[in-house]
Amino acid sequence: MKTTLFTAGVLAAAALALPAQADKLDDIIASGTLRCAVVLDFPPMGSRDANNTPIGFDVDYCNDLATALGVTAEIVETTFPERIPALMSGSVDIAVASTSDTLERAKTVGFSIPYYAFENAVVAREGIEMATWEDMKGKVVGATAGTYEAIWLEGKVKEWGEGEFRPYQNQADVFLALSQGQLDATVATVEVSEANVKSGNFPGIKIVDKAPMVPDYVALITLREEYGLINYMNLFINQQVRTGRYAELYKKWVGEGAPADLTVQGVYR
Amino acid sequence: MRGRVPRIGHSCILPGAAMFNYNFRWNQALNSLPQMLEGALVTMEIAILSMAIGIAVAILLTLFRLSGNRLLGAISATWVEIARNTPALFQIYMVHFGLGGFGVHLSPYLSLLIGIAFNNAGYLAENFRGALKAIPETQTRAARSLGMSPLQAFKNVVMPQMLRISFLPMTNQMVWAILMTSLGAVVAMNTDLYGVTSELNARTFRTFELFALAAVIFYVITKVITLSAGLLAARLFRY
Repeated sequence: MKTTLFTAGVLAAAALALPAQADKLDDIIASGTLRCAVVLDFPPMGSRDANNTPIGFDVDYCNDLATALGVTAEIVETTFPERIPALMSGSVDIAVASTSDTLERAKTVGFSIPYYAFENAVVAREGIEMATWEDMKGKVVGATAGTYEAIWLEGKVKEWGEGEFRPYQNQADVFLALSQGQLDATVATVEVSEANVKSGNFPGIKIVDKAPMVPDYVALITLREEYGLINYMNLFINQQVRTGRYAELYKKWVGEGAPADLTVQGVYR
Repeated sequence: MRGRVPRIGHSCILPGAAMFNYNFRWNQALNSLPQMLEGALVTMEIAILSMAIGIAVAILLTLFRLSGNRLLGAISATWVEIARNTPALFQIYMVHFGLGGFGVHLSPYLSLLIGIAFNNAGYLAENFRGALKAIPETQTRAARSLGMSPLQAFKNVVMPQMLRISFLPMTNQMVWAILMTSLGAVVAMNTDLYGVTSELNARTFRTFELFALAAVIFYVITKVITLSAGLLAARLFRY
């Protein structure tokens, strides 16, 4: 009896001494650093300035979230395909990397509510006759590997049964190939397309048409089971819109006009 | 994982069941196996073609070097220097975007094939040079004294021995050629094993199963090719 009581006492003491199970939100606050995976060859969402410092909409969103959490932000550069290994291996806490929230991907990672929505444009090289997006049929087209628009465009080429689809590794290579005439057309976000046509880095390209796809809603991602963090990110995104910070950052990085509506008519989230 | 409290409840005991924060779902990856095997065929095709072209060009480069002609020797030396002292990734990229800048547009398939063949030729030419050093010059002289032309002497006497001596380094290069096909991603190659795998990954985010599967397929391909090269050698190089 005595031993049982003693054992019970020891167990109770041990149970009290054990810290409550910490989740990722706790870990981030305790470590004082929020590590964000950001794609830095995807202006205006992510790029580097003349001093090689990461800048862009996504970079600012990571900084804002870190400020809200009371920690410092650490930007970890990733490519689109490397986002998931970076998350899974624990080298970043979240990805602020314009990740499209597809149902297929949601089986693997945890998505917040959308924080941005892209419209996509069809960009063609100047020498080619192209009036609407449908003129891409039978042409050599390409896009950045692993993106929403690449998946859409490849599907279209398969559906048309003619032409060729080429997934280049990054946005810069897509526009280089287009400018050289290796590609006839590409589909890229309106933001990226306008920035690249304006920059003059890729001569001989023009915006032709809007791509007729559902707006590309992008969300923050973290591990699927981190509900605490996902809840926090949802509220953060809501507050960014509510406080006008979303519109402010849109103006800073994208330009005049209103940012995309992040709600969908007629349905709950 | 700085300052992380190790978490209970995430079992990492069963191999393959859970790795860090990832649960393996093999059935989904295995469903895409047929697509990946089709990619593996393309990978083998490129590797074999690049090797055939590489051997032919390397023999030509070796002849250039032996010719005694300054210009031909310089071409051969430059080729070998560039192929061996720059990354294969750079070589493939330059075939596509470098030539593209001059208006020469090659498809991803051709860019990759030519890039790897260029690399193969450079390395193989060096292998052949080493092999030639092991063949006594008296053999060429003996062949010449039998009335063979220099080219005949090379073709009938020296080259068979050269290929035999450099056979093992050639299988090494073959394995390297197979693995180099994965660099096709930089020139938008999407039908080879690596290209197919990374597109499946973009769509499903099942990174670890897909790439583990691709690694196994790569391993099997290289094994099959080295083993059949051994069999081929046993047939070709019988005394």
